[in-house]
Amino acid sequence: MTRRWRCRQTKPTKSLEENENLQRSSELVRLAMFTELNSILNTSPESFTPGEFILLSDRQSDASFLIHHFLSFYLKARCKVCFVALVQSFSHYHAVSQRLGVSLTQAKEKGQLIFLEGLKESLSVFLPQEENAGHQAMSFLRDPAAGLRSLYEFVQSSVVESSGGGGASAEQWGPPVLLMDDVSVLLSLGVRVGAVLDFSHYCRTTVCSQLQGNVVMLVRCDGEAEEDDADDEGSEQLMRGLTHQSCLTLHVQGLPTGYCRDIHGQVEFCWKKRQSDGQHAPKKVFQFKVHDKGVSFFARGTSRAVL
Amino acid sequence: MLGNAPSFTMLSELLQGTDVGGFLLIQDSCSYSGRHLLKSFIDAALNREEVVHVLGLDVSEEELKEGLKSFVFQRLHFHDAYADPLGWTDNSPFTVHQFSSSRLTELLKQTAPSKPATLVIDSLSWVLRHISPTAVCHTLQQLKKGGAVRTIIGLLHEDMHSRGIVGSVCRLATSVITVEPGTKGEEALAKITKRSKSGKVTQDEQIFSIRKDLTVTVLSKPTNPGHKRSTTEEQVDPTANLTFNLRLTDAEREAKEKLALPFVFSKEKKTALLHSGPGSGKILYEPDASDDYDQEDPDDDLDV
Repeated sequence: MTRRWRCRQTKPTKSLEENENLQRSSELVRLAMFTELNSILNTSPESFTPGEFILLSDRQSDASFLIHHFLSFYLKARCKVCFVALVQSFSHYHAVSQRLGVSLTQAKEKGQLIFLEGLKESLSVFLPQEENAGHQAMSFLRDPAAGLRSLYEFVQSSVVESSGGGGASAEQWGPPVLLMDDVSVLLSLGVRVGAVLDFSHYCRTTVCSQLQGNVVMLVRCDGEAEEDDADDEGSEQLMRGLTHQSCLTLHVQGLPTGYCRDIHGQVEFCWKKRQSDGQHAPKKVFQFKVHDKGVSFFARGTSRAVL
Repeated sequence: MLGNAPSFTMLSELLQGTDVGGFLLIQDSCSYSGRHLLKSFIDAALNREEVVHVLGLDVSEEELKEGLKSFVFQRLHFHDAYADPLGWTDNSPFTVHQFSSSRLTELLKQTAPSKPATLVIDSLSWVLRHISPTAVCHTLQQLKKGGAVRTIIGLLHEDMHSRGIVGSVCRLATSVITVEPGTKGEEALAKITKRSKSGKVTQDEQIFSIRKDLTVTVLSKPTNPGHKRSTTEEQVDPTANLTFNLRLTDAEREAKEKLALPFVFSKEKKTALLHSGPGSGKILYEPDASDDYDQEDPDDDLDV
């Protein structure tokens, strides 16, 4: 007997409540993918520490999975997110976020997400065709020596808008969040390290201190850590400067012993601020493995491949 | 260095703030923030009923005041250069370009006209990023000698500047404390260099930890084996506790020292070879015309 394929019909008797439960449970499954990271950081979309500057960094590795995590985390937490994406297109982040359970297009339409697509906007700076709001933000491409004041003004206008009250149609979003992917590409575009540090300082002043929001920035280093060359105008000095400004750093690197199929690398968590709930280790190291729909974290030596 | 009594260490001496007219520099790096120690110094100064002015660039007022007791805030004046240090908005309370001895003296005189105040700069790295090192050093020197300031305490991130700049600022300081992370979680290592007025330099290293109420507990000297070995370590005698005798009497020792070693080409051997004794054979050599004969050195091996 051949199998007959036929269209599945959703039973009309299913109640709205049941549908909601189904949606929530599938969301929970997706949320579960990053619960390990949330428990390490002692946060959840319902409660997280406001006013934090979180620095994500990597050396000869790829920490962009953390950017996707934080993007979906803050969108789920109903925060107003300003995302300055300088290295990938909108569709890339959209595709990954869909797997994590958020729709960036929907968030943008609702006004929750302000997305600066650096790649597209930079084209309009070099080939101006019509007046564009994004124009001003990327104007440092024409004159990198002038600094990032215009980019800061763009960020400021995006985040201050939310707390300005808004009209009757505006929904009440949580504290503003600034995400940047990634900061070290600004150095390749000719901006000095000092100008990037000034920019991050101003972002911190506005978003963290004034508006009690969070800032998450990704900085990438290539090559070995240079211990003695402190005045090297490069990504190492930028990373050091940003580390001094941040209160939590997540440093991703490959395993010191080399490539492994089951363990993609290790993440070092450093807390700078003394947490009010007593003693805690200022540094923790975890290993991770990136899956299709999430990342699993485990203590060193406890990978499933090894146990 | 011989340790002093534990309650009177260099770090606690500096915390007592007896150094008037001085410049204390706290140096830190990414691995350990010196701000906790800086707050301890501020706390100690406030507890001594001193007026403290803080030029805040790195962190906000709330973050700096966190942990300090609220009843001392009337003596603590925070000059906010954190909100807008470059004047990007039109309403900046203090910009980094206003870092000069005249402007700072003016600020200090506004709130404490009679008593010289303690000036805390958090941090000098921010200033050095925008003002040339020579101007910064000049300002610090003028403030030291000016009289409006009792002591200057500065925080510097040494991994953010070249060694030359760090060295120049350190030269100006009367005391330098370099903080590094310790071996155990809450502890840190302080390397202290103190320059007295007579020019004498003393150095010390101490392990300390800072409690929640910002008091500093000096723990001990670092004891890791990588440090200079202690001179009081006893020499182990290998000839003791054996079932056979390895020791030498004086006569045996003398004979041992007199012995000529077989393969050492000493002076005695040389003379013995050159002037062979009676009875031994002599070699007479008469060169041909084609021989390359050097009268002075026939075998070309004499150490002449």
